[in-house]
Order: sequence, then C-alpha cells, then structure tokens
Amino acid sequence: MHIVVCIKQIIDPEVPFHLFRIDPVTKTQIRGSHPLVISLYDEVAVEVAIQAKEKFGGRVTVITIGTKEAVQALHQALAMGADAAVLLSDPAFEGVDSFGKARILAAALRKIGSFDLVLCGRQAGDVEMGLVGPFLAEELGIPCATLVSNVVSGNGKIRLKRPTETGYEVLEAPLPCLATITNDETNVPRYASVKGIRAAMRVPIPTWSAADLGLDLARSQEERRIEIDEMWIPQREIRCELISGESAEERARNLALRLRELGLI
Amino acid sequence: MTSVLAFCTATVTSIPRSALEVVAAARSLAQQLGGVSAQALLLGARVEQQAYALIQHGADEVFLVDHPSLASLEDEVALGVAEYVVRQMTPQVVLFPHDDLAGGHVAPRLAYRLKAGIVTDCTGFAVQDHEIRWLRPVYGGKAMAYFRAQGPIQVATVRSRAFEPLPADPSRRGEVRPVDINPETFLPTVRAVERVETAEVEEGPSLDRAEIIVSGGRGMGSAEGFQVLHDLARVLGAAVGGSRPAADMGWVPHSHLVGQTGKIVAPKLYIAVGISGATQHMAGAGSSKTIVAINKDPDAPIFKLAHIGVVSEWEKVIPPLIQIFREMRSQG
Ligand SMILES: Cc1cc2nc3c(=O)[nH]c(=O)nc-3n(C[C@H](O)[C@H](O)[C@H](O)COP(=O)(O)OP(=O)(O)OC[C@H]3O[C@@H](n4cnc5c(N)ncnc54)[C@H](O)[C@@H]3O)c2cc1C
Ligand SMILES: Nc1ncnc2c1ncn2[C@@H]1O[C@H](COP(=O)(O)O)[C@@H](O)[C@H]1O
Repeated sequence: MHIVVCIKQIIDPEVPFHLFRIDPVTKTQIRGSHPLVISLYDEVAVEVAIQAKEKFGGRVTVITIGTKEAVQALHQALAMGADAAVLLSDPAFEGVDSFGKARILAAALRKIGSFDLVLCGRQAGDVEMGLVGPFLAEELGIPCATLVSNVVSGNGKIRLKRPTETGYEVLEAPLPCLATITNDETNVPRYASVKGIRAAMRVPIPTWSAADLGLDLARSQEERRIEIDEMWIPQREIRCELISGESAEERARNLALRLRELGLI
Repeated sequence: MTSVLAFCTATVTSIPRSALEVVAAARSLAQQLGGVSAQALLLGARVEQQAYALIQHGADEVFLVDHPSLASLEDEVALGVAEYVVRQMTPQVVLFPHDDLAGGHVAPRLAYRLKAGIVTDCTGFAVQDHEIRWLRPVYGGKAMAYFRAQGPIQVATVRSRAFEPLPADPSRRGEVRPVDINPETFLPTVRAVERVETAEVEEGPSLDRAEIIVSGGRGMGSAEGFQVLHDLARVLGAAVGGSRPAADMGWVPHSHLVGQTGKIVAPKLYIAVGISGATQHMAGAGSSKTIVAINKDPDAPIFKLAHIGVVSEWEKVIPPLIQIFREMRSQG
C-alpha cells in the first residue's frame, strides 16, 4: 500500500497568547522567533500512515506546499518513518486559497502516479479551515472518509476507524481513497529516533514547481473564492479574583465559600 | 426570491440544538440581507413534526427529505441530498452546523462541487450593502478575522453555541415541502460496516447539559489523578471534561474533550484543574458563566482567562475541597 500524507508547516500553535502578533496588512501571524512545526493533525496523519505501514506493509510519501524552510517538516516526517518526501514550492503557490491548494496537491499526486491512500489533517493548525482534504478528494475524484483516526485493515478494500460520541465505527472504502485524520489515544505521534533522524538527512527531497506539475495557477489566483478581509487580536483579559489563604486547605475552604456565596454550588 | 438555506438533521424524537442554532443564524442573516427568506432543509426518518417545529423556531419554509434510510445518516447520502436540493433551489447562502457530518464532510464537498466560496466554523457575520463578511476565530482563537466568500453561492458552517436558538413561536406559519427524492439513489462509496460502543454508561449529567463541569488537563499527571476529579464531580453533580492531552492520554474519553475541536460547552461553572488555558481549549470553555482555575503555576495563561483562581497543586486542594463540599451538602 502506498500512502501519501499531505502535511503543512506552521508556526508553533502553542505560542502563548501574549507573544502572538499578526500583521494586519498581510493578515497573517508574524513569525518572530517562534519555531516552525508540522501542523498537529498532519503529524498525527504521519503517525497513522506509519502505523499502517508497520501493520500492512507498503510505503509512505509525505508532500508539502511551502517554502524552502518546509524541508524541515519533511525531514521530521522522514525521521518518524516515512520513506520519501517531495517539496512543492513555487512563488506562484503563495496566496492561493483552499481550491488552489487542492489543485496543486492533486497535480503532485498525479505526478507521483500510483497511490492507494491519501491522508490529510482534519484541519490545519493555523487558519483551520478544514477544506483542503475534502477538496482534494473531489479534485482527484476519489472517495473521501472524514475524521478517521486509524487504519484497521488494508487488504483490497480499506477499513478505517472513526471515533463517535459513544465509541467508534468502522468505515469501509475502496482504494484509492482519501481520509482526513483526527486524533485519538491510538495515534499520538511518536518521537523520531536518533537513527531515524540520521537516515532522514540522507533521503533526497525533490522540489517540484508549478511548471514541473504542468500547472497554470493564474486562474486560481484570479478566482480566489476565499479571502481574509480583516484580522485583529481581540482583547480578552478577565480580572481574575485570586483566592487567598495561607495553606492549600485554607484556599480550598475559601474557594468553596466563595462559590457558595456566588450561588454557583 | 433569494434565500438562505439552513441544513438540519433530526430524529423522530428530537431536534438537535445545532439545527435550531443554524435556523436562527439563517433567520438573522436573511433579515439583514433584506427581502430574503430563511429556508431549512431537513433530513431524517419520520421527522415531519420536526419540520413544523423548525418553522416555529424561525424557518419560513422547510424542504423535507423524510425517509426510513435516513435513520442513520451516511455522509455521502447527506451530501447527495444536499447537493440535489441546493441545485434545485439555488439559495444565495447555505448554512451548516459545524459538526462532524456537515462541517467535516458535507459542506466542504458541496462547496467544491458548486465552486462556492466557503467559510467554516463561523461565529457571526456582518452585512453591509448586501455583502456578507463572515466572522471567525483563527490561530486557535488568538485572533479574529472577517472572511469574504466569492462564488455563485456562499457556504458557511457555524460554530456550536455561536447563535442562540429562537424560542418556539406557535403562531409562525410556513410551508413544509416534501422533496421528491429517494435518498437510496445515492450509493455511498464509504460506508460504516460496524458500530462499536465503548463508552461506559455514564453517571451524572452529560457535558452538554451539565450546570457544572470539572475539567482536567495534563497537570493531572495520570489516570489515577483523574479519578480525583471524578470524586469532585460526584459531590457537585458535575460532568467531567478534559483538555486535549488528557484525552490523548486516554484519561478521559475523546468525546469529553473540551475545546475548539471538541465540545463547546457553556455551563454555569467550569472548574479547570491542571489546564494551562490554551486558546484552543478556552474556545470550548470560554462561554461558561464562571470559570475557576486551579493551577500550580501563578503565571499560567489561564489566570488571565478565569474569573476565579487558586494557585496550588491540585493534590493539595482538591481532596480538602471534596471534603468541604461534602460537609456543605450534609449541612444542606
Ligand atoms: C488545531 C488545534 C486544535 C486544538 N484543539 C484543542 C481542543 O479542542 N481542546 C484542547 O484542550 N486543546 C486543543 N489543542 C491543544 C492546545 O493547544 C493545548 O496544547 C492544550 O489545550 C494544552 O492542554 P493542557 O492545558 O492540559 O496542558 P499544558 O498546556 O501542558 O498545561 C498543564 C498545566 O498543568 C499545570 N500543572 C502541572 N502540574 C500541576 C499540579 N500538580 N497541580 C496543578 N496544576 C498543575 C501546569 O502549570 C500547566 O499550566 C489544540 C491545538 C491545536 C493546534
Ligand atoms: N501547504 C500545505 N501543504 C500540504 N498539505 C496541506 C497544506 N495546507 C493544507 N494541507 C492539508 O490539508 C489539511 C487541511 O488544511 P486546511 O483546509 O487548510 O485546514 C491539512 O491538515 C493538510 O493535510
């Protein structure tokens, strides 16, 4: 089974609120000195792909649309256990909307040629639209399973685990298909081993441009259907009333009394 | 006449709150656009009564797809029905609840097929000169943005609890129009072959309904640590929630995850224990009337987002707190 995972590199979403800045003109987060990471559900998707490879055999390719720096993200995925990686990079890719991104990823998948399963995160960890996965399935004309957390069997037809309110369900889909990935307790991303990190550095990573993909993005740029008009940081500080008390027990008592006074318990 | 169409599902016994919220959003948007009707598309099995309820809750007209096979709804069947109805009725805007079925599947694929601009997980909108700007949190709630969607039709999904359902008004009149379509003509390529219930029967109230929620984070340290929260919840008659690390570690079921990608809750009292207060978590807890934070780190961000704070290790405050609540209970 050949699994292709679409990953996005983003600025660490765990940056605390007080260090978070945006550029109101470009309407994006300012990078500052924050680290870049694989978007969290995409990292989970890499984990799901590697687990499937371990269980059912096959190989894993990771692809990303990004700048040169995104090679870092590909290296991390390789170090986790992916076998191959491709960087999709071109100035023409910048600023395309989710429709445009799906076109780029679809072109890359066609160039890759044979694949059985495509994985995307349920949503990117920055703007979080949750569109590129389902759009890509439509663009490729393949079945789409959404919000699944693992591959439970991979012979002929594929079976996918999807968490539900009260447990989970097993979805069956023909191959090739695309799945969007959500997290559960079975797919917490592994750490890369030192050996994995060393091996990853030796994997050549080709870069494909718009021309390599035979893509004319002029139309995608003109026909942007999703645009950010304005972005701002809301003020949200609440004055927090700190419960006093010498000892923890005393603070516990004061908290209970205060909650009773407020009629909350 | 143009319209705003709200996508709704229901069962024979109930209408989910999300359906009433999306109808309320459609009503409000239709009013602001002026001269536009608020329609609903209702899918379900034996849900005709619910169609009339949607009218009482703000819809002018309901397209009803009522079929036994819709008792359990496959994503692609819902997509097929939605696409059919939207192409027939050509509304100006289609609104969906931002849930797993619609937000995760139907809305994006429908938008793609219609070449419609789409904005997901909206918490509001602003209308000026008939132009809609969609309001939505970005960067896990650290920033807010107005989006514009272009295209012949606009699609949006709305975040849970962003809109209040309208109270039922029995005097409201509207048409219920059965749609002449057999949902079984849409053969899903991906289908559920097995459903497994793993959740234990829960004691106490559900997260959605609870007046008090006790929620734990990574700071609880272990599943055993989490047991103490269950004890606290028991004396308070509260439900138990958790942050993402707590859910990933299996300390609390994923269906109890509170946050942007989990449940959005709005209890009277939310007690966050060992939770740092990441914006993605607070997106789910922030509408609680009173938030209490118990955290050992006085600089934890949650102390800027909570109403009441206790700086302490939970190990030292929760056990006496349980004891004190017990005493209060027995004193009445
Ligand atoms: C796209 C995206 C979506 C996300 N969606 C969600 C979501 O829906 N819900 C969610 O919760 N998160 C979500 N997250 C993750 C979120 O960003 C945070 O990582 C997460 O909420 C942190 O959880 P936490 O507060 O339990 O852990 P930490 O941030 O690790 O905080 C643990 C806290 O416990 C305190 N502590 C430690 N020991 C003790 C002790 N003994 N007593 C008292 N306090 C102690 C520490 O001081 C610390 O403040 C999402 C992230 C992304 C990128
Ligand atoms: N720049 C990108 N490169 C590769 N994959 C991407 C990119 N942006 C989004 N994706 C994929 O699409 C998913 C959903 O992204 P979004 O629609 O932006 O929320 C992500 O989790 C990725 O799997």
